[in-house]
Amino acid sequence: MKDDLLFIAERLVRYGRACGADEIEVGIGDGTEFSVDVRLGEIENLIEAGSRSLGLRIIKGKKTAFAASSDLAEETLRHLIRNAVRRAELANKDEFSGLPILSRRTIDPATLAIFDPEVGRLESKTKIALALETERIALADKRITNSHGASFVTNEGTSVLASSNGFLGECQKTYCSLGVGLQAGETDDLVEDFWFSSQTHFKDLETPEKIARTAVERTVRQLKPRKIKTQRVPVVFEPQMTAGLLGFLFSCTAGTAIYQKASFLVDKLGQRIGNDRITVIDDGLLPGKLGTGPFDSEGVPSRRTVVVRNGILKNYLCNTYAARKLKLKSTGNADGNGVSPNNFYLEAGPHSPAEIIRSCEKGLLLIRTLGHGLNSVTGDISRGAFGLWIEKGEIAYPVSEITISGNLGRILKTVEMVGNDLEFRGSICGPTIKVAEMMVAGE
Amino acid sequence: MNEPATFPAIPFEDHFRLSLGDFQRILGIAQSSGGSFAELFLEYRAYNFIVMEEDIIKETAESICLGLGIRVVAGEKTGYGYTNDLSFEKIKKAALSAAAITSSPTTVRVVDLSQIRPVHNYYRACEIPHRAPLGKKIGLVKEAYLACQKSDPAVKKVKAAFQDQIQYVTIANSDGLLVSDARPLLKLSCVAIAQKGRRREYGFSGGGGRVGLEYFVSALTPAEIGKAAAQEALSLLEAKDAPAGEMPVVLSPGNAGVLIHEAVGHLLEADFNRKKTSVFWDKFGSRVASPLVTIYDDPTIPAFRGSYNIDDEGTPPRKTLLIEKGVIKGLLQDRLSAGLMKMPLTGHGRRQDFTDIPIPRMANTYIDKGEYDPEEIVKSVKKGFYADRFQGGQVEDSGKFTFSVSSGFLIENGKLTVPVKQATLIGSNVDILNKIEMVGHDLMFGLQTGTCSKEGQDVPVTDGCPTLKISKMTVGGLR
Repeated sequence: MKDDLLFIAERLVRYGRACGADEIEVGIGDGTEFSVDVRLGEIENLIEAGSRSLGLRIIKGKKTAFAASSDLAEETLRHLIRNAVRRAELANKDEFSGLPILSRRTIDPATLAIFDPEVGRLESKTKIALALETERIALADKRITNSHGASFVTNEGTSVLASSNGFLGECQKTYCSLGVGLQAGETDDLVEDFWFSSQTHFKDLETPEKIARTAVERTVRQLKPRKIKTQRVPVVFEPQMTAGLLGFLFSCTAGTAIYQKASFLVDKLGQRIGNDRITVIDDGLLPGKLGTGPFDSEGVPSRRTVVVRNGILKNYLCNTYAARKLKLKSTGNADGNGVSPNNFYLEAGPHSPAEIIRSCEKGLLLIRTLGHGLNSVTGDISRGAFGLWIEKGEIAYPVSEITISGNLGRILKTVEMVGNDLEFRGSICGPTIKVAEMMVAGE
Repeated sequence: MNEPATFPAIPFEDHFRLSLGDFQRILGIAQSSGGSFAELFLEYRAYNFIVMEEDIIKETAESICLGLGIRVVAGEKTGYGYTNDLSFEKIKKAALSAAAITSSPTTVRVVDLSQIRPVHNYYRACEIPHRAPLGKKIGLVKEAYLACQKSDPAVKKVKAAFQDQIQYVTIANSDGLLVSDARPLLKLSCVAIAQKGRRREYGFSGGGGRVGLEYFVSALTPAEIGKAAAQEALSLLEAKDAPAGEMPVVLSPGNAGVLIHEAVGHLLEADFNRKKTSVFWDKFGSRVASPLVTIYDDPTIPAFRGSYNIDDEGTPPRKTLLIEKGVIKGLLQDRLSAGLMKMPLTGHGRRQDFTDIPIPRMANTYIDKGEYDPEEIVKSVKKGFYADRFQGGQVEDSGKFTFSVSSGFLIENGKLTVPVKQATLIGSNVDILNKIEMVGHDLMFGLQTGTCSKEGQDVPVTDGCPTLKISKMTVGGLR
């Protein structure tokens, strides 16, 4: 079947060239999805399906046209290619357009350990049982009053890419995840949270026991929250919260945002943007991780890129187009016509999370945020927040209905401690960090 | 408004190459394990996309989405399969995947399918964008781009994007329903980045809906969109940091509909109430808001982005009263929840595409107009915050919600004074709904560009409200 996809992609590249395209690239994905949601001990939804999709780019006379389809009928695809060649004429000439130059470096997907055959071999009843077991353990805790349900998801996918520059590549990936969402408290005093584990390899998933216990603990620790006065205090970010902050940093280091001047990090290459505790890496080659792959959507081989080293901004993350605009090199982050992270993470520091909390005379341990208040042009952050109040180095009580605000530029320069608890739970991740001061708004 | 003839629907046989007999056979396979309800959802969607940046039409894109989703329901359980390969073998496999939700094989009677047409047409597309020449659409993008760029020398970067789509859906189910719809959707948006010294700010505007290209002549011109984006970025250059703390908040008409969407709409979606996870589940018929508050969701507003002739389960939608004078009167229903809760259908079962199970969703949600003059509302505040432009929000079932304000003003002694930027407002819904002290007579709707996400599914929506005063709310600014 894989060969079949490569064959289709290559044939369409030849067809595109014959239709007058100077350059053409065709990517095809073929995936299967399994997903089960259980709630209160019963199956709620069971989805099993497979689908294919195709995306292509055509350049003619330095003018670009894209097309995509989930209808893989040959006549539909040929029609789309002919249309794309015609449409390209209507775009403007763009000297920065075009496919990457074929790299001599190739990466053998087998060395990356991103396909786990066990995922495909799991039987439906095993997967359903895992979800049921996770929820059962969580609900056995009397403090839990309702369930959003537990889910088990697996995906297996093959993607192929063929380009007129001679690139031909394919890769197979697997994904699995298990999680549960819970509520505690009475109707008018509800708190909720969830926990999940997602991995490439089934054996790396956390156990139902661990996921359930973590979800319970994360939920009940928010019970009986208090309001606090508006004030400036140190804020400790749990790893999931650091990951959120890094997601925002990624969007500000994306080459596409830089040439559009839509980032506060424009013209900052080589300059200090954080203190020396800050080292941020994007690495597409870490074996077995969720953001790992042999090549990006343009066929540029994956690599490890230092984004920030000890506070100095070293690289923007670019696709070929953004790189040409900025007179840089692609970092292998192309995704469709934008950029996306590979494994983008903040390097761990020396401190244990407990030690970081102990260091706060008074402060907020940030455990969840709500809302979207991020502005990449200015770096401004303003979000709804849930946390645990820290007094004299100890967790004192939960707080809710607060907001935190600050500026990413200032945060990077005022990180006082970096935790030793970095875990690759997603493609963007970081350890616990302590920020010297942020505005926390309450009463 | 007079209703134009139904959007010219192409018979489903043309898109999907399946006959009525095929539908009957597939429904039979889907129900072969004893499911009480089976449904086919066929979708063919074509998009066009144009983007202009750096003074050039940088790229165009065309995209096609074709596929079939099969749902089988047994009690509270749902089995689902989908495929984008419409060969009978692949469809049969998807039907069997969905059927696997139950295992009590039965003999299935053949469903008698009778095709009906949607009774009303809420779309207002005369010049159908999908068929219009690309050159004409490029002209609209350029007009918005140039108007934005020329607004002021401080505007340094502009990006304008146009998207049109046409979505053909056909729904057939084991109750004998067979119905099709052809839904046009159009969006033109513009982003501006303005710079003064080292300070840079961002502005956004846009428009569209279930309309044709004539919209950009008669309703909202591309130049107006471009200028509005520039204006927002320019005004932010002068803005100070927003205040922090609890204070009276006045919400501008239209854009602040996001508050109602987050604070009320999501928690009156039937699934959260059936599962008793919504803070509202035991409050049906009870007062949850100030008596000044009346809220509707209306998928039948002509030309609106959130409107549709049938929902994604084939149900004709209704204007649905959610809260009347502070009391909960209705829920947003899909077939599953309405059946289990023994409540009437409202036509709010929506899905992102054929790969998704339909769930209860909002369409066009708004708080109805009140009696106050908007100026009088601002005048009543001695010291507070006026929230003008918004970026979106989020809510959880417990009723805690936030929404992000991109720009606003301080209110001092009943007047708007200093422009301020970037603040998040947070509250608990029942608490805030009871603190709505004044409702203006100036009901407006926000930009026709909104998208709502729930359980990973995105659908187009709009929301609206008149000027509102909330007696006290936490504002999360920097000062």
